[in-house]
Amino acid sequence: MTAVEDEVRHIETGPAPTRYARGWHCLGLIRDFTDGKPHQIKAFGQKLVVFAGEDGNVNVLDAYCRHMGGDLSQGEVKGNEIACPFHDWRWGGDGRCKSIPYARRVPLRARTAAWPTMVQDGMLFVWNDPEGNPPPADAAIPKIAGYEDPEWTDWVWYTTTIEGANCREIVDNVVDMAHFFYVHYSFPTYFKNIFEGHVATQIMNGVGREDVARPQAAGSDAPKNKGTSSTASYYGPSFMIDDLTYHYEDGNDVPSVLINCHYPIDENSFVLQYGVMVKKLPGLDDEAATGMARKMGDFIRLGFEQDVEIWRNKARIENPLLCEEDGPVYQLRRWYEQFYVDVGEVQAEMTDRFEFEIDTTKPNAAWRREVEENIARRNAAQQEQPV
Amino acid sequence: MAVRPDVRLDDAPMQPVSCTSCGVSVQARKSSWDQTTLQWNDAALEACVERRASVPRPGPNGATFVGCFALRDSVRAAAVRGDLDVLSDEPLPSNPAALNEVSNA
Repeated sequence: MTAVEDEVRHIETGPAPTRYARGWHCLGLIRDFTDGKPHQIKAFGQKLVVFAGEDGNVNVLDAYCRHMGGDLSQGEVKGNEIACPFHDWRWGGDGRCKSIPYARRVPLRARTAAWPTMVQDGMLFVWNDPEGNPPPADAAIPKIAGYEDPEWTDWVWYTTTIEGANCREIVDNVVDMAHFFYVHYSFPTYFKNIFEGHVATQIMNGVGREDVARPQAAGSDAPKNKGTSSTASYYGPSFMIDDLTYHYEDGNDVPSVLINCHYPIDENSFVLQYGVMVKKLPGLDDEAATGMARKMGDFIRLGFEQDVEIWRNKARIENPLLCEEDGPVYQLRRWYEQFYVDVGEVQAEMTDRFEFEIDTTKPNAAWRREVEENIARRNAAQQEQPV
Repeated sequence: MAVRPDVRLDDAPMQPVSCTSCGVSVQARKSSWDQTTLQWNDAALEACVERRASVPRPGPNGATFVGCFALRDSVRAAAVRGDLDVLSDEPLPSNPAALNEVSNA
């Protein structure tokens, strides 16, 4: 044994970043914010208020009133403004105090922090930039053609708060092929990453797993899932669109779109959201198609719940030890770093095109063996139990 | 946070490969015949003929350029010639006829 092989490798945990990523962050479905009430969101280490004015514009402001620190998210929407519950100061979506009902005039400097917002494909986005610049056009999120298309379902949406983990953990998933087998019950057979500019892409094809009972199979005569083809891209630091097609044994392909997005609450917690829409199969009514999207979402939730269990217990690691069958973790983090530095500090290496295709031969052989063992064990257990 | 290099490059760094189609040079690495790492730069991206000719595919992620076939073939040929290292010592999984074509090219 050489000296290097004999050395204990130490984990470098590193500090979590002290700033929040520059980019568009999805806060959820717009329909959940347009009830005329203020909504409190904890994001980017702050408390924010989200409210829709009578004009229909959705606004995001710092929740604390610049007057005496009242919490605007506990206030009331009056016209196009949010009124503080403490002294009724009225704040507009541009962050300016528009009126104080009991005062002759609004004092100078009555301006609070406002975040640029965008509504697209049924989702509300907020632009975060520690430098305070407006969103550049090239940071735009691609449109999703299926939205409001009668041939597609509406979003089926999930929201969950993750405590005790920095949001980089979920971004690492982009390159982590093996964990899709061990944590998400998938069986990847093809896996490639492409990073370029502010987009990080994962192309993954997989086959169904015979050893995992999928929810749609349980107690139904639904055709068996043969596998999936997926092209998933992060546009910026937190919003991923997954163009995902399910292949079924009866020859049907079901195109779907999966959104996987998050926003940081603080450096050690984040809100994870995901949404599914599927193209309606001929003969399926709206309810059945939405039920299908719900079943897909529920299956995806199982995987994320297992992710959470891992994140809750794992160490932050800056120096992962990788085998050749792992994906490009370091290069992904190099790409991700562009969102944590000032625009002027973004280095070419962070945005230059990079491609990485994994050789799945060895992983697939190991996983086929494991699936067979799982099936044999399950069959043996079933035989022992009288029915 | 400093950007760290991939630990796997410590023992086997990226190597230059030129594309036989447009002549651009990229950094490449192969841990096995079916694994490929490619690092482009701006000049290579601008010169790539297939990229310029590429049209978006349908779907929300259709604008992503999946890769250059000519470059893929060039990288493979460089590996077959021995100009690009293949870390795994497993033999090239291919039929003899295809191998012939590459060496005759």
